[in-house]
Amino acid sequence: MKIDGTVVRGDHFSGNIAEIRKFAVMSLSWLTVIFVAVWGVCWALGIFIPMCLANSSFDFAAILSEVCKALTPIAAVLVFIPINAMFMVLMERRALALFTRRNGPNRVGPDGALQTAADAVKLLLKEDITPTGADALMFTLAPIIFFAPSIFGALPLLAAVTNNHKLFQIVDLPTGIFYVLAASSVPVVGIVMGGWASNNKYSLMGGLRSAAQAISYEIPLVLSLVTICLLAGTLDVVSIAYQQSGGLLNWNILGGGALIGLNKAIAALVSSSGAPFAEVMNAYYPYGWLSFVGAAVLCMCTVILFGVYLIGACAEINRIPFDLPEAESELVSGYNTEYSGIKFAIFFLAEFTNLFIVSTIAVVMFLGSGDCPLPTWLNPLSYPAVYEPLAKALSPVLSVLINDLHLINPPTFWAALWVIFKTYSLIFFAILVRGTLPRFRIDQLMDFGWKRLIPITLVIFVLVAFARGVINFHV
Amino acid sequence: MEQFELLTNWAQVNVEAFVLYALAIIAIPCAFCVLFDRAIIRSGFFLIGVFGAVCGLFLILQAQFLALAQLMIYTVGITLVVVIALMLTNPRLEKEGVAVEGRERFSGLVIATVFFLTIYCALRSESWPLSSLRMNPENVKQIGAALITTYALPFEFASVLLLAALMGAILLAKAEPKNDVSKIAGEN
Amino acid sequence: MFNLIGSAINGVKHALGGLYQVKRGLETVAMHTWREPTTEAYPDKAPELPPHFRGRLALTVNPETGENLCISCRQCERVCPDKCIEITANKSTETNKLELIDFKIDHGLCMFCGLCTEVCPTYCIINTNDFEMADYTRSSLIYDLKKLTLTQEESAYYFAAKEMPLPKPKPAKPAAPAAGAAAAKPAAEAKPTATVSPKPAPESAKAPETTADKPAKEVEKKESPSTDTPSVN
Ligand code: SF4
Ligand code: SF4
Repeated sequence: MKIDGTVVRGDHFSGNIAEIRKFAVMSLSWLTVIFVAVWGVCWALGIFIPMCLANSSFDFAAILSEVCKALTPIAAVLVFIPINAMFMVLMERRALALFTRRNGPNRVGPDGALQTAADAVKLLLKEDITPTGADALMFTLAPIIFFAPSIFGALPLLAAVTNNHKLFQIVDLPTGIFYVLAASSVPVVGIVMGGWASNNKYSLMGGLRSAAQAISYEIPLVLSLVTICLLAGTLDVVSIAYQQSGGLLNWNILGGGALIGLNKAIAALVSSSGAPFAEVMNAYYPYGWLSFVGAAVLCMCTVILFGVYLIGACAEINRIPFDLPEAESELVSGYNTEYSGIKFAIFFLAEFTNLFIVSTIAVVMFLGSGDCPLPTWLNPLSYPAVYEPLAKALSPVLSVLINDLHLINPPTFWAALWVIFKTYSLIFFAILVRGTLPRFRIDQLMDFGWKRLIPITLVIFVLVAFARGVINFHV
Repeated sequence: MEQFELLTNWAQVNVEAFVLYALAIIAIPCAFCVLFDRAIIRSGFFLIGVFGAVCGLFLILQAQFLALAQLMIYTVGITLVVVIALMLTNPRLEKEGVAVEGRERFSGLVIATVFFLTIYCALRSESWPLSSLRMNPENVKQIGAALITTYALPFEFASVLLLAALMGAILLAKAEPKNDVSKIAGEN
Repeated sequence: MFNLIGSAINGVKHALGGLYQVKRGLETVAMHTWREPTTEAYPDKAPELPPHFRGRLALTVNPETGENLCISCRQCERVCPDKCIEITANKSTETNKLELIDFKIDHGLCMFCGLCTEVCPTYCIINTNDFEMADYTRSSLIYDLKKLTLTQEESAYYFAAKEMPLPKPKPAKPAAPAAGAAAAKPAAEAKPTATVSPKPAPESAKAPETTADKPAKEVEKKESPSTDTPSVN
């Protein structure tokens, strides 16, 4: 492209459309498969079986249907994780290929769409080796401890991303985000354990690095989320998600709710039916220009917090540019050097699942969860004049699905679609970062964490605590 | 939780008691392993297991916040740092096995007995207020409010203590002047 | 105090500069998405090789008459650093001329230096564009005369592609011209100009389109059974 500042004609934008189209088709079909499968399992377990049981008359039908419903979230996660990991690996490889001007895996299945499925089968069939001198118990436990939290940690998020669907209300914990954070802090134990138990110096170094890194970067990560919780006034992910509904301006990334007043005021202006513009503004920003300064500060702070969160999350899950625990050039493959077969597969699975969970947390906490980015007053679908004829036209088909079979739940459906779109966009961004940035050096990493990120988050925390006082939130 | 009760009624057993025993089965052997395992790093990992089980105990007592704090701070944070410190300090400790003198053994026994008796008496005393109340969904909020109103003073003391510990640690870890280092190296 | 503010401003400047660099990097990489892959879609599409590519060795025949061009002079056998050519020839009693009986090249030993093709006086031994010679045993890498000899069309293609002068038809009275040719150009540099073919190359040999894609097709044909080629990522 640009070698000495000139653009070689025909090279730039010259159309890699075929490859991009393949990538898009592959992604869309995989996503369809994943979410149809997951929702199918949820529906069967949580709605269809209880519906059948309700008609039957044997005595423990009620308890059985309750158990089924209670198991639905776990089943959803268990079905989702392996398929999703397969898709994410494939997506990562194809996207990296796009960025580095290659074709990517294209042999197995149509355009290589089944490559990772084949890889998974291969991994499961491989011999499971425990090296000599390894501590067999710890060696086996490590992948489990690494993986288990990603199953349980994802649960509260399920309620938030499905718009509190009644099947998933059971996992809506009052300590929501704290639970997720606690669960996501556990995997590092698995890494250290695996590194130590492998009886291999590279593994041990990888494990130690990972622990040092995770402990240092957990502080800014948690602080950034705590600041958002401070703004939201709750730890519950579902209420945080609800608070952000109503368009881009309400999202936590833009002031954590500082712009809600502005949003409402503009809505009042547009609809010209509610309270006048100035009145709404006054209700939300009672101190005149001081409030506006506060709102501006909050917006800046939350944008920085989002960045800090992304960096901290990247380090927490050992992704490039923070993948020192598995730096190939120094440590072979880090803590999983000695792992093979199914145990390696579990490590691999958990790594990608963690990436997904971290992205989902970012979406729920910063990017409005399942909320359409268009503000309500701009969104044509939110006006009954547009919405109702559309609903009427579709109702004969949909009413069976929605009301009789409960196969589609419109609020959940739209929310889930937006969450899927936002989450995978973030993952795509993570892949782009992986394709771009080189790895940190260990001392740079520590300096960056302790001397930059932590002070920044602390300063922002204090700023937010004060700026919060001059604005009315969530009136 | 409703499912829990339904299950309890149906199965005619106390599910909470069942979970308690399950956790005990994890916690007690792990605790013994912490004491008796020769490889000290492995003891560290077993300690993580003990703390994990304790975190489960908090959960069945419906103290969600406490359980999660336990998990995050004790199970992962502190124990992991301890394990790493062990790895970094003396890798051969596990091989040598420190010989214990007779007198040390005796004093250790005395201390352990006294400690055990204290804890035992404390646990068996009747003054544990038990409440059958369901956990308040505003639990976390209440804890927060209590920490900065009723218990503000202990809270501040605890933080000052932590700060002192932090400063002490920094002082200990600070690099010695160069000539001292050479002297120490010479002695060894 | 001012110091602190100054350093804070400096820090912000530094951070913004760093962010700008990161943004530039991300942009550059993202833009690569729009550019075509530089990799070869090899097993699906045979690569386009230059005619002087040093691939599998083969013996040409006269494109017009189809007779073997080798005169059993053993120059190639002598020059080969790996000693992987083995020629069996017999002096015929009638014509007092060497008759080629067998010609073996061990492709497992050959390093494709092309020295043998340089010395060959009749442009008989050449490097073809074929490089897919993977096989299951070492012995099957030793190619014999039958396996080495090209067809008439292939020979015509290579004579045209490599711009080698077409051979003269063997005269009824033998010996003299061939030997003369061999003596006339011992050195490789003399090769292109040494013997200018009196006849211009026939049209059939020059027409590239029909014959040009022959080897490519052959490559494809060869490819299909060997599905275990490593996938190209
Ligand atoms: S290419 Fe080189 S090594 Fe191969 S046969 Fe000819 S002279 Fe020998
Ligand atoms: S140099 Fe050419 S003519 Fe001579 S023996 Fe070898 S292939 Fe035949």
